[in-house]
Amino acid sequence: MPLINLPAFSADLLADFESLGTLRVDTPVIQPAEPFLAMAGEDLRRRIFMTESETGESLCLRPEFTIPVCLRHIETATGTPKRYAYLGEVFRQRREGGNEFYQAGIEDLGDTDIAASDARAVGNAMRVVANRLPGRPLAVTLGDQAVFEAVVGACGLPGGWQKRLIHAFGDPKHLQKLLAELADPKAAGVFGPEVERLAINGMLDDEARLVAHIGETMEATGYSTNASRSPQDIARRLKEKMELANTRLDPETLDLVREFLALDMPLAEAPAALFRFAEKTGLTLDGALSRFDARVAALAAIDADISVIRYRAAFGRPLDYYTGLVFEVEAEGTPAVLAGGGRFDRLLTLLGAQEHIPAVGFSLWLDRIEAAITASGGAA
Amino acid sequence: MTITIALPSKGRMKDDASAIFERAGMKIVAVGNDRSYRGRVEGWDDVEIAFLSASEISRELGNGSIDFGVTGEDLVREGLANAEARVEFCARLGFGHADVVVAVPEIWYDVDTMADLGDVAADFRARHGRRLAIATKYWRLTQNHFSGSHGIQLYRIVESLGATEGAPASGSADIIVDITSTGSTLVANHLKILTDGVILRSEACLVRARKPAHDSDPVVGRILSAVRDAL
Repeated sequence: MPLINLPAFSADLLADFESLGTLRVDTPVIQPAEPFLAMAGEDLRRRIFMTESETGESLCLRPEFTIPVCLRHIETATGTPKRYAYLGEVFRQRREGGNEFYQAGIEDLGDTDIAASDARAVGNAMRVVANRLPGRPLAVTLGDQAVFEAVVGACGLPGGWQKRLIHAFGDPKHLQKLLAELADPKAAGVFGPEVERLAINGMLDDEARLVAHIGETMEATGYSTNASRSPQDIARRLKEKMELANTRLDPETLDLVREFLALDMPLAEAPAALFRFAEKTGLTLDGALSRFDARVAALAAIDADISVIRYRAAFGRPLDYYTGLVFEVEAEGTPAVLAGGGRFDRLLTLLGAQEHIPAVGFSLWLDRIEAAITASGGAA
Repeated sequence: MTITIALPSKGRMKDDASAIFERAGMKIVAVGNDRSYRGRVEGWDDVEIAFLSASEISRELGNGSIDFGVTGEDLVREGLANAEARVEFCARLGFGHADVVVAVPEIWYDVDTMADLGDVAADFRARHGRRLAIATKYWRLTQNHFSGSHGIQLYRIVESLGATEGAPASGSADIIVDITSTGSTLVANHLKILTDGVILRSEACLVRARKPAHDSDPVVGRILSAVRDAL
């Protein structure tokens, strides 16, 4: 099998990264598999190339750069802020395209000016793509999980429902299913016969007794009370679940959430449209909206071409470490995403960082950019 | 062309499968002695029998190295990616019934549905510093059910090749995905099946490897109608 060559524009791309003030880093191709599976979930297992070390440790070929770059940052403990750039091969089983291909990108770790670093990530991604495809108009899609969280929070739903909806954000099918359930008065929660007995004994209203009862039952049946979910965990969520079962979303609020999710407009119009939405619906979204506006202003301040950016309210990624901004860059006329990025403020602590490190970044699909260059008649 | 049918090499599955073929007018006789792993069918010279383990049968169907096999649906759906495209489930044979199910500790009073489990999984890392762990040997079926059907991504599979039902009590996993026929092993281990936790109602099936040569082979059709008529 022929090796996939480094794209011809790699040197120019690296020069761009350097002029953007980033530090180029490399990471081993062979990585421990555990962090990728723990962050992205079991579904990734089918798409990565895994093997085992002699001692039984699961290893994989690097499927992407963000996690290795962040792990390297944590290990080297060189302090923040840091802006890292990378370019190298990644390995993934894809339905279309080869299983080994090049990715490049920037990870911006530890900048506490959220609006400015968000804008810089979007602006840099647009700039490096535009430099590879001079004269080709770009199309950028932008979403913001924080605004959705604020809308859900302002609707007055109990905590359990908010968590469910936020967790499904970015997975339209799942989200629509949840909304339908939330609106359906027939769909009560399912409770086992044991819960009915507890209710008859009056235990559901007395949390201390319930916790003690669960603990005793666990010990009597040979279950450890601390290896998995504790008696407190079970009692607390049982209460939460009874709340969930008793909550129905009134049709007006449901329409409101759906109306929000349907918002899709040029970014320049989004701050005013979100303000009108909040005003009309009476929802208090102030914090999320001012942060959204600050990002738009920061984009304008760095002279990014806002006219090619659209805001789509339902756009997100259903991974629990994404926290705010998500975006994708396409070239007009080609359906492939050439660059994708977002803010992942939760990732570094999940990977073991001691302190909270805000983070935002993007990666470029070099094989798709190469194809777009060829399609537009340029030399790849 | 000789058509190869693979049957389970031992136990009740072997006896039940042989009984159905005999009712279908295809009496199977071992070649050589009783313990031989090859057989033939009386009066059907263009058919040969291979006795294999149930999981090998599913693998060989996927490879196309046998034409028909009798094995559990669970093994075929677990063993083969894209099973429908590679094999055809020709007949359900009415024995070897077993369900692949999601089971959680009985004491999880707050968990009776996959949606409950999704809530627990979403919070698990924050509360326990690790993902929800599922003990199973059914990697593919688990992934399809959890992420495909219920949008649950945040869990880890802990491979378990035996005594899976003991994993939650021993602390090596939080919940299990396992096969059960009567449910008594689950009850004995204080586990309960979620109301929407039945992933697959499996039984022994006559399965055909999809091969182009079968279209023009009259023996394939004769085997199929003989077995179907015997059910």
